Amino acid sequence: MKILTTVKKVVDVELNIHVQDGAIVEDGLQYVINAWDESGVEAAVQLKENHGAETTLVSVGGGDNTDIIRRCYAMGIEKGIHVDDPALEKADSFIYARVLQKVFEKGDYDLVITGKQAQDTDNGQTGIILAEYLGLPCVSNVVGIEVIDDTHLKVTRSGDTGDEIVELALPAVVTVDVSINEPRLPQMRGLMMAKKKPIEKMDLAALGTSAEEIGCAAPKSEVVEFMPTEKRAGGRKFEGEAADITAEVVKLLAEEAKVL
Amino acid sequence: MNPLLMSVLLIVALGVFARTMIGKIRLLQALQPAERVNHIAERVKNMLVLAVGQKRLIGRRRERSSGIMHAFIFWGFCVLLIRSIMIYGEAFQHGFTLPLLNEAHLAGYLYTALKDVMEGIVLAMILYAFYRRIIVRPARLHNSFEAYLVLALIGILMISDLLYDGARYNLTQLYHNPAGIHFFNNPRYGTEFAWTPVATGAASLISHLGMKANMALMTAMFWLHICTQLVFLNILPLGKHFHVITALPNVFLKSLGYPHEKPKLLDLEDEAAWEDESLGINHIHQLNWKQGLDLYTCTECGRCKDVCPAHVTEKPLNLFEFNDRLKHELLANADKVIQRFRLAATLAQCSDEAGAEKIRERMAALNSEKQLVDDVIAEDTLWACTTCRACEEVCPVTIEHVPRIVAMRQGQTLMAEAYPKELNPALKGLERNGNPWGIGYDKRADWAEGLGVPIMAENPDVDYLFWVGCAGSFDDRSKKVSKAIVTILQKAGVRFAILGTEEKCTGDFARKVGNEMLYQMSAQENIETLNGYGVKKIITACPHCLNTLKHEYPQLGGRYDVTHHSVFIAQLVTSGRIRIEPSLAGALTYHDPCYLGRYNEVFDEPRSLVQAAAKGVYKELDRCGRESFCCGAGGGRMWMEETIGKRINLERAEEIVSCQVANVAVGCPFCLTMIEDGMKELEKEEEIRTLDIAEIVAQSLA
Ligand code: SF4
Ligand code: SF4
Repeated sequence: MKILTTVKKVVDVELNIHVQDGAIVEDGLQYVINAWDESGVEAAVQLKENHGAETTLVSVGGGDNTDIIRRCYAMGIEKGIHVDDPALEKADSFIYARVLQKVFEKGDYDLVITGKQAQDTDNGQTGIILAEYLGLPCVSNVVGIEVIDDTHLKVTRSGDTGDEIVELALPAVVTVDVSINEPRLPQMRGLMMAKKKPIEKMDLAALGTSAEEIGCAAPKSEVVEFMPTEKRAGGRKFEGEAADITAEVVKLLAEEAKVL
Repeated sequence: MNPLLMSVLLIVALGVFARTMIGKIRLLQALQPAERVNHIAERVKNMLVLAVGQKRLIGRRRERSSGIMHAFIFWGFCVLLIRSIMIYGEAFQHGFTLPLLNEAHLAGYLYTALKDVMEGIVLAMILYAFYRRIIVRPARLHNSFEAYLVLALIGILMISDLLYDGARYNLTQLYHNPAGIHFFNNPRYGTEFAWTPVATGAASLISHLGMKANMALMTAMFWLHICTQLVFLNILPLGKHFHVITALPNVFLKSLGYPHEKPKLLDLEDEAAWEDESLGINHIHQLNWKQGLDLYTCTECGRCKDVCPAHVTEKPLNLFEFNDRLKHELLANADKVIQRFRLAATLAQCSDEAGAEKIRERMAALNSEKQLVDDVIAEDTLWACTTCRACEEVCPVTIEHVPRIVAMRQGQTLMAEAYPKELNPALKGLERNGNPWGIGYDKRADWAEGLGVPIMAENPDVDYLFWVGCAGSFDDRSKKVSKAIVTILQKAGVRFAILGTEEKCTGDFARKVGNEMLYQMSAQENIETLNGYGVKKIITACPHCLNTLKHEYPQLGGRYDVTHHSVFIAQLVTSGRIRIEPSLAGALTYHDPCYLGRYNEVFDEPRSLVQAAAKGVYKELDRCGRESFCCGAGGGRMWMEETIGKRINLERAEEIVSCQVANVAVGCPFCLTMIEDGMKELEKEEEIRTLDIAEIVAQSLA
């Protein structure tokens, strides 16, 4: 089985993100591997370890992605491709999906594993659009993957009210949820070896396409402005007798909050 | 007596003994190096206090009776050693004595009396030991055939010597000394028998047997004593009684300056070490010789497991068994270890690469077949340890368990990558955001907002750095402690600052779970920051930070004067910069954090502070001070599930509840969490408040 996984480099959302004049303040930010993609990488590596598979990773855009690709090498991915091109600066999910389509078509992969969304934009589109472009079956929000045979998987999709068990014929695309596994922490030995591994870097031309072909000129969506979220005002605590408190709360709801 | 027979006996017995000992010593020599032969005066002192003085045997309230028993047997042995020389001499020269210890001197008489009384006492102690093993059966003891055999042999040694002297008494005093037996008879001090009440007592038991029988008995007892002694000598190195020989040197060679050997600073870039699997301990030959000596020395007394929080709460960690298994693995691989050592020496001399490669291959083939973790020591055993050091503190022969456990964890994490995966979130949090909670590093100083606390970057001209630590920065409960400290420091007018978002986890927990890589990364960054500001003096509320900053950062070039907040606040009180007025209502106790007490010897200051602030009575917990019982969070256990046995924090919380207090003071953020959680589980959190020393002081400031 040949598996293609995708990783995106995103801002660490544990940090406070400050916005100034409609743009994100870069100072003090740090970038990490998207958590959903990390689970996708872990899923791919587990398939490799348990059933034997070739694993390739692709990361699109993001400038210098060497660190996160190396990290995935240390987790057990064998081959890494980084596609970057100035034309991709304003890329949206559709454009990313096109790039991934081209990468897919260059190799002959049996399975694409993507994170179901990225923690920066939370769009959750790319994997599904890619499946559409490729004309392949797709299961989203996957929380379990089992191998039936070389050409079939049994995947568990987490739905709103329960799990769906889907038998999937390969080739196919799955987008995984973070709950599928606990990604391993790359250790020293892996990181040291990863340093020596080459990363295949290419721009759109090297990928055999062009900015026009994949629609860079007219993205279907565009970020116009960033706005800070309003800080929530702190709650208020009432102490004393229950009856007094009730009276006071009712009064405030009527006078201050004006909801009564 | 018969010099020829004696010569034969001695040559055979000492020859066999020497052969065994040489084998044991060779094996130790083939282990890894350790720097232990230095600071001789301090080492001699340790030996006198701990080994000769038997401090950990008689010094512990809990174990006093058995301690006294052992101490007398030991001292008895020391006294009898001199007597033995004289007995051996007797075989070659009639009436042989040592200089000074003869009938011309009072010393000779005094020694005779001492020896006599000691033999009586040792005999009584042996009987008591049998009684303990057979009737009392303390849980910690491991009743083996060897234990009984050795007790019996010691009993025979005493009885035979007493009867030998008894027969001498009868023959010389009752039967007019037909054989011309030599005995002390100085007109000034009388006969030696006037000084030996126990032997003359023994004499009365056999006086009715007649002269011939007494003659025969004297000879028989003489040879029985000697043969028993020589057999005993040769049994010693074969089992746990090897400690009779190794205990003194082991105590002499114990770690100095820090309670146990510090974790080795591993060179993670050393490719040869990765090849050789020599980062951490993965194979038995990777123990250092002192660790090997520890294994030889373990007396199987079980004191360690008795105080071990993991063992007490039914985790599969039994230190006696741990030692025993490693010892057997070491002995089983003795030949391989020695061969490997010789090859290593050849390798060091070898200059051609092809030859070196061959040697390396041969060395690799000599690694022990078993993996130390999994095949010899179970994983659950290795990871159960909280690194609390309770075991080391009570071990009469100063065996160091924790460094070995940490090194084996290093092996598991670095080489085998087989560590509890539940640690990953904490390790990842450390890697990304410099704290095990994984909260954004930029929120590290949020707790200090509005308190007027200077940040080092803006205000480097201060006397002290307040090292807040991750808990004090991110854990809601511990943030209150940080604030209390700020209140105290500000009240005292101390010029201090914090690092703010530049501070990172010291890496303590990562190191204790064997993740040397993350520890070194974190530590190096911190040291760079600290040295960048020229920080000299640090105050911290976290004993884990304290320990790491103070004892482990020097390995990486960070040298600071680090003080726990309790010690610093106590100094503020002594110098009159703050005053404490009793304000805390209700009875109070104090829980000693392991890394503050046992690791850093801070016991008094916390007590004096909380006692000054308390209106109610102060009570000690049953397990306190050096023998305090861990809260369960150390050694990275804070970040692991505790699924086997009873939870350690619950065990401690119950002890506190049974102490009947209204407050329990702690001096560590992890103890705070663990004990408070324990109280919640027991639904006692309203009745018994868990407070940090700083909180108690802050609310009692005059
Ligand atoms: S390690 Fe020390 S305390 Fe434990 S059994 Fe051995 S000698 Fe006794
Ligand atoms: S350090 Fe503590 S937990 Fe670890 S073995 Fe010793 S007593 Fe047990």
